[in-house]
Amino acid sequence: MNRPVVIAHLYPDDMNIYGDLGNVIALRRRLEWRGIDVEVRPVVVGRAVDFSDVDIVFGGGGQDSGQGVITDDLLARGDDLRGLAAAGTPMLVVCGTYQLFGSSFVTADGATLAGIGIFRARTVAGSTRLIGNIVIDSPFGRLVGFENHSGQTILDPGQEPLGAVTSGFGNDHDSRQEGARTNNVIGTYLHGPVLPKNPRLTDHLLRVALERRFGTTELEPIPDDLERRAADAAALRPR
Amino acid sequence: MLWFTLVVTKAAAALSRRLGRGVGQSFPGLVAERLDPRLAGKLAAGLPHGVILVTGTNGKTTSTMLMAAALRASGERVLTNSTGSNLKRGITAALLSSANLRGHVKESIGLFEVDEASLRLVARDLNPTDIVVLNLFRDQLDRYGELDVTAKLIAEGIEATTARLHLNADDPLVASLSRYAARPELVTYFGVESSVVAGTGLGVADSERCPVCGARLEFSRVFYAHIGHYRCPNGDFARPRPRVALTGVQASDAAGSRFTVEVDGRPAELSLPLAGTYNLSNALATVSIADAQAIEPAVLAESLATASAAFGRAEVFELAGRRLHVLLAKNPVGLARVLETFVSPLLAPRLLFAIGDLRADGRDISWLWDVPLGDLIPAGSVVLTTGTRGVEMSLRLHYDNIESDELADLGLALDRLVQETPVGGDAYIFPTYTEMLKIRALLVGGSPLSSVAA
Repeated sequence: MNRPVVIAHLYPDDMNIYGDLGNVIALRRRLEWRGIDVEVRPVVVGRAVDFSDVDIVFGGGGQDSGQGVITDDLLARGDDLRGLAAAGTPMLVVCGTYQLFGSSFVTADGATLAGIGIFRARTVAGSTRLIGNIVIDSPFGRLVGFENHSGQTILDPGQEPLGAVTSGFGNDHDSRQEGARTNNVIGTYLHGPVLPKNPRLTDHLLRVALERRFGTTELEPIPDDLERRAADAAALRPR
Repeated sequence: MLWFTLVVTKAAAALSRRLGRGVGQSFPGLVAERLDPRLAGKLAAGLPHGVILVTGTNGKTTSTMLMAAALRASGERVLTNSTGSNLKRGITAALLSSANLRGHVKESIGLFEVDEASLRLVARDLNPTDIVVLNLFRDQLDRYGELDVTAKLIAEGIEATTARLHLNADDPLVASLSRYAARPELVTYFGVESSVVAGTGLGVADSERCPVCGARLEFSRVFYAHIGHYRCPNGDFARPRPRVALTGVQASDAAGSRFTVEVDGRPAELSLPLAGTYNLSNALATVSIADAQAIEPAVLAESLATASAAFGRAEVFELAGRRLHVLLAKNPVGLARVLETFVSPLLAPRLLFAIGDLRADGRDISWLWDVPLGDLIPAGSVVLTTGTRGVEMSLRLHYDNIESDELADLGLALDRLVQETPVGGDAYIFPTYTEMLKIRALLVGGSPLSSVAA
């Protein structure tokens, strides 16, 4: 294990709101605590990035203005990212980046923008914000977080969601679905940030990454008591 | 009708005081707004020297307090909302409590801190002579959604008035609000020219983009977060030259700062007994208001030199022979700045983080993850947590490899903090807003703490 595990962090300056940086902290620490070296590689607008040795991709939420700034750059990297996704690279994309990983985005003034199309999902700008604590039921167990978005995301038939909403809204007003999952790519509206309080999801991303890199599936266990208590506390708070 | 409204709302105020609902301010304001939404404006019209409004994310309470002291020293009778709510109903309540039944207020000038999202309504109704905008950071985004939305709400407030604008030149988003002034000559800036304030550039970037063309701003100097000297690479926007400028800092430590401020090129030596270079920006805003209100420089200097900490902002309480410093923490930049000022220079300090997520704190506490705690908290610190989300704070600390003890009960947490602190020693408490109120109630109202009292 001489080469570090590489986490590509999409647009850390323009797409970092509501503590989404905490997801990178969680990935990094849970590797370091297991004695594995980590490199976080920022992806910034207009700068060439080598994706060939990237093990995990993360992208967070941003303001509308941040989303506007990065969209063209992200589309230009669409082939790289679709290639990684098809090859099974684990990725987590939250809120604004999740929306851009879908097939299209319809803005408030009716214009349709293309996404990079990893998820078969379209997002339509909404007039009211869906804000509050959220709990969902997923293949990674209960996930707790905080949602804060006005875009309404509709999954195409056949597109698997990340989970079913037990409290809160999720993708949109009505579907009771939250997020999307294709191969090892996970999209979600959960801030909070999502990974620190949901270590099963974090370790899933890490397990896939390490398996692809080293061929191992064993992940050294880490005590999760504090994580579980923080998640329990969050799940009990009013919306 | 005005008389009727006043009678009813004053009765509501008396009732609310009797029932002991908080500081008794918001409830009568709410009643008044129902009966007559224009009441605040009608009462404020009776203030002969008008109304000054102060808004921005961090420093509202301290700046308002410094400005009130300067105005009082110059002979004004100042009406403020210093202990009450900074929503419109709180300002209405402050006006109400001063007005007699004929609607006459006894003060000569109004000075109100205003919540960023409330500025729109308050400015329209009160027709202020001056509006101060201190800074714009991420704070309680669960209420406003995004920082750009907050800026837009403030812009709408400014557009509704013909007030003089006092803007922080070092904050690009604030400086860009000059576009909304009724006339360009109404805008005046305050800012830091001295390099002494050069900060750590803690990476909590909020608004690094040109507000005109969207290009990434180039910074020649960063004081902290996005506060500094900047220009748009396309020439669309640049830091304006401040009329009130900090040009030198002679000394700055836990006891406060001595510094030089130039107003239109005329230098003055000032001192402020509040720690933290972030308070210098609050002092600059105060100088800008003093200049606009033609307060004598010597009077201003004296009032700044004798300032004391505002409610829950670096207040110090004595408990069982220990000094407890209470430092309000409500957003990432604010918490990073107080940690950097008070804690980072210390050897193994004793710390308590009291993190609540009630409405007034903001339901969303994800901002804890934006603060680089591992860089700010010295190794060997004793760290405790409490509050509705104390365990989340412990988790946050754990992920920066800082271990802490969580105590669900605030009284027990304070108790433990005292035990960990030697007699004559200092401990530091970082509460969110509602936790700060609870802590003050415990510390001001004598100590109900079991083992401490023993």
